[in-house]
Amino acid sequence: MRADALAKTFRLGFFRKRVEAVRDVGFDVNRGEVFGFLGPNGAGKTTTLKMLMGLVFPTRGRAEVFGLPVPSLAAKRRLGYLPETPYFYDYLSPEEFLDLVGALSDVPPVERRKRRDRLISRVGLDHARGRPLRKFSKGMLQRVGIAQALMGEPELVVFDEPMTGLDPVGRKEIRDLILELRAEGRTVFYSTHILTDVELTCDRVAMVFAGTIRSVGPLGELLSARLLSTEVCLRPGAQGLPPLPAGASQHRAVEGVAVNLPEGTDVDAFLSAALAVGAHVLSVSSHKESLEDLFIREAAQA
Amino acid sequence: MRRVLAIARNTFREAVRNKILYSLLFFAVLLILSALALGSLSLHEDVRMTRDVGLFGIDAFGVLIAIFVGVNLLYKELDLKTVYTILPKPLHRWEFVLGKWLGMLMTLAVQLAVMGLVLGLTLVAQDASFDLAMAKALWLLYLNVIVVTSIAVFFSAFSSPFLSGFFALGCFIVGRAVPDLRALGKASGGVARILFEAGCTVVPNLHLFYPSGAIVGAQVASIHRDFVGADYMIWTTLYGLGYSLVVLILAMLIFRKRDFV
Repeated sequence: MRADALAKTFRLGFFRKRVEAVRDVGFDVNRGEVFGFLGPNGAGKTTTLKMLMGLVFPTRGRAEVFGLPVPSLAAKRRLGYLPETPYFYDYLSPEEFLDLVGALSDVPPVERRKRRDRLISRVGLDHARGRPLRKFSKGMLQRVGIAQALMGEPELVVFDEPMTGLDPVGRKEIRDLILELRAEGRTVFYSTHILTDVELTCDRVAMVFAGTIRSVGPLGELLSARLLSTEVCLRPGAQGLPPLPAGASQHRAVEGVAVNLPEGTDVDAFLSAALAVGAHVLSVSSHKESLEDLFIREAAQA
Repeated sequence: MRRVLAIARNTFREAVRNKILYSLLFFAVLLILSALALGSLSLHEDVRMTRDVGLFGIDAFGVLIAIFVGVNLLYKELDLKTVYTILPKPLHRWEFVLGKWLGMLMTLAVQLAVMGLVLGLTLVAQDASFDLAMAKALWLLYLNVIVVTSIAVFFSAFSSPFLSGFFALGCFIVGRAVPDLRALGKASGGVARILFEAGCTVVPNLHLFYPSGAIVGAQVASIHRDFVGADYMIWTTLYGLGYSLVVLILAMLIFRKRDFV
């Protein structure tokens, strides 16, 4: 999938006031990878996804899926989409809804039934397959949403904020599913602002702030390799703790005291001093730049 | 066409599971049956009363249902955001609008058939028959609701249900009065005549679908005596379907360009 300098300006209200939802969004998603589209609320993630799905027409720029222009039937046949908050026909059961989606995806009736049953089992809704969707919880609706996105057996799966509003178990299930889809050879593109999920699942990410892409690439390349600080956990000895180096701070930890040493501190010298006063070193951990640090750094510059 | 039929089937299913439509149908049936009571008050005119009240009930409730469902047809999809799930499927936007419209026509066909059946049974109970004239009148009323639905769908492609309902009802009222408005325009002359004529050309002539009492050819059409002939039925059918199709295409063109924010 490729987005090339996408921009969208809405004109709102009586005086047709211009609102730039997306200013300049461009990225390439490679086949078979999990691509995270990150940004804070209101950054333009959902509008970008809607442009990619043909729900909103870009003011500038273009998008394509597998080399096919968006929106086109040929492109849509190869992708599955889960909207931000799934809204379905609540008078239908999952069986009926997936049947409808299968028919719209030109899946022949016999294959449709097989696929529908397989997907209902895969998302764990066997017990509720005939129940109207209006009686479903948010988590259950999210599962139906995932099943409908996969009904056309797409090569590219696009999820808009798939983990939002889910409990930790639900979030883990979605993460596992994303990794399963990658293992099946599918490409997964999803938007989120939950950074831990990205660290656990994504091969590459793009960060969008105020409608503009700030950085794109593999996480390892985007994050700085530089050591930011070192945390040393100590149990005070008979003579207490060694003197803290300049810029260091300490706070109570579960067991003992955690000392945070800033970048550039001689950690070896501090550890020697700690041992000299009889303190027990419980752990030493280095703190490099995390995705959260990068996100906040980019947000501050945006 | 398979995708269009899938949308149509789903629209029909939605209507079948909508309790409000059952309520409207119930009141329509009540109105038709009330003709029995009214007929007993008349002097040997009970069958005439049943036919008149019955057709009026089918017409009124048919239009009411057409406007109520028609204005919500597309708006509901946007309001409930179901469109975000459906339109990214391999489906053209015009196929979606056409499917919704066909589903609506299927719903209205069943509604009118039920009302017609009740009217027919009422007539049989009065030792009268549901004759060809009644069948023709019922078909014309169906064409009438097709046109009204198409207008409602057209307005709902770009405005709220309230405004769409208001405009659709306005078109219905003006459409029924087209012959009178034309006559008024002719009598006025000048610019008024041109304006009336232009207005009557844009608004559908819905009077064609309720011709009882109107002069058709050289005689007065009456559901009780000489109703309209085959040529009238053919031309009116072509007019109704043609007008609906034009309005529907306009709705599709508007829907095609919309951003679904």
